[in-house]
Amino acid sequence: MAQVELNKIGKRYAASGPPAVHDVNLTITHGELFVLLGPSGCGKSTTLRMIAGLESISEGELRIDGHAMNQVAAKDRDIAMVFQSYALYPHMDVRDNLAFGLRRRNFDAMEIARRVALASQILGLDPYLARKPHALSGGQRQRVALGRAIVRDPKVFLFDEPLSNLDAALRVSTRAELTALHERLNATMIYVTHDQVEAMTMGSRICIMNQGRVEQVGPPLEVYHHPANTFVAGFLGSPPMNLLTAQVVAGPSGLGFALGEQVLAAASVLQHLELPLAVGQSVVLGVRPEDLALGGAAGPGNGDGLGARVRTTEALGAETLLMLELPGLDTAVRARVDRDSRPARGDTVQLLPDLARAVLFDAKSGMALARRPD
Amino acid sequence: MHEARALRTPWRAVTLFLLPALTLYVAFTAYPVVKTLWNSLHVVLPNRHEFVGLANFVELAKDDIFWRAVRNTLIWACTSPLFEVSIALVLALALYAKVPGARFFRIAWFTPVLMSYVVVGIIWAWIYNYDWGAVNVALRWLGLQDWARPWLGTPATALPALILVTSWMWAGFNMVVLLAALHSLPSEVIEAAELDNCGWWGKLVHVIVPLTKGTLLNLLVLSFIGKMKIFDLVWITTKGGPLWSTETVSTYVYKRAFEWSTFDLGYPSTIASVWFAIVIASVLLLSWLLRQREKLEF
Amino acid sequence: MRLRQTLVLLLLGAYTLFAAGPFVWVAMMSVRTTTEISRNHYAWPEQWHWHKFADAWFGSGYQVYFTNSTLVVCSAVALLTLVGAMAAYALARYRFRANRTIYFILFSTIIFPPQITVIALFQILVQYGLYNSLIGLTLVYVAIQLPLTIYLLETFFQRIPGELFDAARIDGYGELEVFWKIALPIALPALSTTVILNTILLWNEFLYAVVLITDESSRTLPLGIQRFMGDQQQDTGMIATGLMIAIVPVVLIYVFFSEKLIKGMTAGAMK
Repeated sequence: MAQVELNKIGKRYAASGPPAVHDVNLTITHGELFVLLGPSGCGKSTTLRMIAGLESISEGELRIDGHAMNQVAAKDRDIAMVFQSYALYPHMDVRDNLAFGLRRRNFDAMEIARRVALASQILGLDPYLARKPHALSGGQRQRVALGRAIVRDPKVFLFDEPLSNLDAALRVSTRAELTALHERLNATMIYVTHDQVEAMTMGSRICIMNQGRVEQVGPPLEVYHHPANTFVAGFLGSPPMNLLTAQVVAGPSGLGFALGEQVLAAASVLQHLELPLAVGQSVVLGVRPEDLALGGAAGPGNGDGLGARVRTTEALGAETLLMLELPGLDTAVRARVDRDSRPARGDTVQLLPDLARAVLFDAKSGMALARRPD
Repeated sequence: MHEARALRTPWRAVTLFLLPALTLYVAFTAYPVVKTLWNSLHVVLPNRHEFVGLANFVELAKDDIFWRAVRNTLIWACTSPLFEVSIALVLALALYAKVPGARFFRIAWFTPVLMSYVVVGIIWAWIYNYDWGAVNVALRWLGLQDWARPWLGTPATALPALILVTSWMWAGFNMVVLLAALHSLPSEVIEAAELDNCGWWGKLVHVIVPLTKGTLLNLLVLSFIGKMKIFDLVWITTKGGPLWSTETVSTYVYKRAFEWSTFDLGYPSTIASVWFAIVIASVLLLSWLLRQREKLEF
Repeated sequence: MRLRQTLVLLLLGAYTLFAAGPFVWVAMMSVRTTTEISRNHYAWPEQWHWHKFADAWFGSGYQVYFTNSTLVVCSAVALLTLVGAMAAYALARYRFRANRTIYFILFSTIIFPPQITVIALFQILVQYGLYNSLIGLTLVYVAIQLPLTIYLLETFFQRIPGELFDAARIDGYGELEVFWKIALPIALPALSTTVILNTILLWNEFLYAVVLITDESSRTLPLGIQRFMGDQQQDTGMIATGLMIAIVPVVLIYVFFSEKLIKGMTAGAMK
């Protein structure tokens, strides 16, 4: 295991034009499972490949265990990579696939056999050692790819969307196995994915990237509950967080948010803010669908409710998803309510937002308004 | 294909589509083959023909020139492909590694492929010229005048000289095919090899060649077939000389049929028939030997 | 790293000289007189004697050779494309028991050495009065290029989604109309590739021409050039000009259609 530092890392493909990756500063500590998460094209894979040495670094410095790695060849960085397509050698059987890297590094035969046997046992590959990749299923190939990385016993493991080619059920089980593997090996792992569920469940810390830049870094739940900007807020969570543009107005019981034709009391949010709000300020109010309850239920410390009209209802069995319209507001609002509430289309209901969990963003910059440290 | 369509094959249309091609095939390929085989059992003179059974074949077995020609052609067909494909692999790898000017190189190297053997033959006959050909001029310039010789006029060097010419011609073709094959390789496998401590030689031996084996073998077989048929180049440069050192079966057949004053078309037909069998047999043998034992999927 | 790249480039440059050098040399010689050439075979032309092309064209008979080649090749390629397309289409899109057998029969002739047919063809053409005739040569040319053409087109026709044809049939098109109005237009890229390929291969064809044509007035270009090589005292300058006349059309085709040409020639060689 090792520590990986990225200082102002950037990647430029053409001299002019936008950089693929820009100003990435990250420190991944020993034994962490660090996830790079973001939509396609956000630069996460490029960053990973720069760490691996498969792409040259245009700007900034990369250090592994304190040693500068910018000019070091990929094979000398003591890293192992699991590719999205597994990249197994099609003409070699599983045993040779696992042993190849070690043989190329002149390990002695006994050591190779020992490591291969160990990896094979951990990953359940023993029955397949004589098979070629084309005779294996997707899940089995993925394990061989993992095995190839494990036998190397590298300082850092790099994963480039390893689960995206698996079917849904296999993905779930493999996820748990990868987490168990991480604990067992106690290795530093850098994991790239576009799937939030993987990121939230596997990562010790996640890093959200967008358009080549780092948007936010932190433990999954922290990023989830305290997004740094509207992009992160809208990216994590399914269905995504409701982001409602509102103006701060003076209401009967203090400041409130003008949402369309209605005003929502702002008191419970204000206590968490560092700086006070001014009347006339434009903000974006972020409320997660699960923090919207239907009126009638006793909610913790919220102000008035909001009247809304139901546009669609999706009863999923375990819960019900609603899409609602607020009068005067263009943006639809999504709510996740308990399974027994099943309002019909066209019904008017009362929404009670749990504002203690809401996040406020500046309407112009999209950045979250500073919170008072609690 | 859709089940219903398979039931009602529109025979009229299909026949119409296939008839011209099949007619041409029968008239200009199938019938001539049969006729040649028939000829081989006869003495065929301008005004009459006479059935001689296997007499021609017996004579052929003792025909030293024929066996010399067979030997020359086989040597050509076995060595030229090796040069053509290995040079092509080196060139393709160079272009694959993205040297600057790749597009220009590709076009320049492909040019010899397009030229008529007649053109190529004349140019190389000039290049091999004893007095002012480029090869001897260069050798003399380097101070190696003892090495200068009439390359196409010396029995020992004539065939190798021609083999060089065909390698020169076809390397470009093979290079283009191999380049396409290289580009179709999964780049992540090559990256994995990079991470597995493979330099460019390691990647070549352990990944690139194994994965392009199918194409490489295909090219070898194609080149083999092409060299077994060769005629134009020899006819223009040496006409089979000096002293039968470049005589190929194709030139020998032509000579026996149209140049020697025997006028008998039966014997050359015998040569053609036997050669036909030899070519088909060697292509089948070669394909069987070089067959891919299992299908590589990637 | 820099050093290795420079070395590689040097090697590639050397090979380029090897590959393309001869043509540049012939091009230079084609505008120099034989006397100039005899003095120094490798000098850059001092005077550019463009009139040599006219001399060769009118004086040495190249006009005849060029015209003959053009006639033969154009007719052969036209016929070849039509006949080949029809056969390839039928083999690719219709299912019938003899289909693969016919395909194999047509395709396998690619490995036949020309000797197995050339003697008999000579006899046949003489018998039917087509010896020394451009028509006879054209028909033979169509026959010899048919296997390759059918192979290339059949692969292409196979890949066209069947729904296109089904839709046309539902619209009332007969089988011939489907071929003519739907299949051919879609196949235009593949057709043009085979046209280019066949043109170049037949333009350069020598063996069948030398057997089947002996008349001076019917000679094709390769035969015409070969005639001058027989002489003891070679008129190098004139031959070089003649070579250029033969090379230039091919180079032109190549310059304009290089991508297509390369793709066509290498199709099927990749596995």
